[in-house]
Amino acid sequence: MDLLATTHQAFGMLFSGDPELWAIIFVSLKVSLLAMAIACAPAIAVGYLLATVSFRGRKLLILVNQGLLASPTVVVGLILYLLLSRQGVFGSLHLLFTRKAMVLGQIMIALPVLVVFTMSAVQAADPRLQETTLSLGATRLRTAWTTLAEMRFGVMAAVFSAFGRVVSEIGCSLMVGGNIAGFTRNIPTAIALETSKGEFAEGIALGFMLLVVALMVNFSLAFLQGEGGLK
Amino acid sequence: MNEPLFVIERIQKQFGARLVLDIAGLVLHAGRSYALTGDNGAGKTTLLRIMAGLESAQVARALYRGQTVDLGAYPEWLRRDVIYVHHHPYLFRASVKDNIGYGLKARGTPRRERERLVHESVQWARLDHLLASPAQKLSAGEKQRVALARARVLKPRLFLLDEPTANLDAEARQQTVDLIRDLCDANGTALIACHDQAIMQLPGVRRLHLQAGHIEARWDAVAPGPESIGRSPGAMAARPLIEGLQWQPVAND
Repeated sequence: MDLLATTHQAFGMLFSGDPELWAIIFVSLKVSLLAMAIACAPAIAVGYLLATVSFRGRKLLILVNQGLLASPTVVVGLILYLLLSRQGVFGSLHLLFTRKAMVLGQIMIALPVLVVFTMSAVQAADPRLQETTLSLGATRLRTAWTTLAEMRFGVMAAVFSAFGRVVSEIGCSLMVGGNIAGFTRNIPTAIALETSKGEFAEGIALGFMLLVVALMVNFSLAFLQGEGGLK
Repeated sequence: MNEPLFVIERIQKQFGARLVLDIAGLVLHAGRSYALTGDNGAGKTTLLRIMAGLESAQVARALYRGQTVDLGAYPEWLRRDVIYVHHHPYLFRASVKDNIGYGLKARGTPRRERERLVHESVQWARLDHLLASPAQKLSAGEKQRVALARARVLKPRLFLLDEPTANLDAEARQQTVDLIRDLCDANGTALIACHDQAIMQLPGVRRLHLQAGHIEARWDAVAPGPESIGRSPGAMAARPLIEGLQWQPVAND
């Protein structure tokens, strides 16, 4: 394999707008962004509550979420597969091997990351922050909003970490999506497939796009934190 | 004679087994200002925080403008009347303007009105030139002035200020003292924890002295000199209500 020639070919495919290639990229972004859009608000709310309110089962919920942080995506995929398969509890919904199933899986993968990182961000807040909002007459809801806004760099880190994890995961997408061309084939599943078929150019092109997405996420985080890190 | 604004009977605060605050009674009169003095660790901050509803304590009875209030379940309306300003104020990661406007926004003040009030408050604190600056970048003195402006703009009945001039350089301290003098003159009621002679000697400021968790004595700035009501059994004997301070026998004596 001539790596240089293949890479050249890969960029040719990207810039010539190879429709199949861009369809794959589109699936990845669509699924992951939708999963994040659905997961963010409730997960951040739960993370905030875990950090600020004491209630029965709080410790357990924290432990569960921390445990799930380390869960292999392929196991999430397996569980979801069993639930969605024809004999499964939700088999009648006919969701297996659809993009919706992939979205569901990625939501499950994103939730614990968002919850745990938001919780640590809020816990790291200055105790005077909430005393100040209270003393200035803010309601609990406004206090929550202000706290998240004040800790926005930590919360943002949670969002970017979760996005980084879901956009690059392959286990769950492969299991419940099925890697169907033009439908549920996303960047990671396509890279694995193309490379194993010997289509290195496609693999490189997609790998490059995945790197670009991941780097964009990292750079935007570094940019935002660079501004906010200054005291 | 001014009406009592805040009357609290029997305030006790325990940290573990240690009784850090044990005050028989405290009366603050509307329109008066009080300097709360005492050594570090005497309980000044704790007392202010209890009154602001930021710290729990055992309180026998609290009356605010004649109405019984539960400081443990601090009512929302009382928060709107009483403002606590931290020793090192916390400023939001936002402009000076947004910091000062925060409380008004929380109260739902319309934008126009809010801007007018913020503007007025900024001028009062001589922060005009910093209106758009990020609050995090201000000096300690400027931060303190933003915090005072942020409190004043809400026109609370009672200011609880925790060592507003500590750790400031001479110039910043003088500017802060000037603002506090103005707050005290403007018919507001203030309870100011401080070690600062300049605040204690402001006209009309009465002094409450906390010693090891007990209000020990009171000096009146107008007529200086301690009016001792120490905790010695003799001195403790049934002192009726005196201004600024009510003394009653304490059960665990």
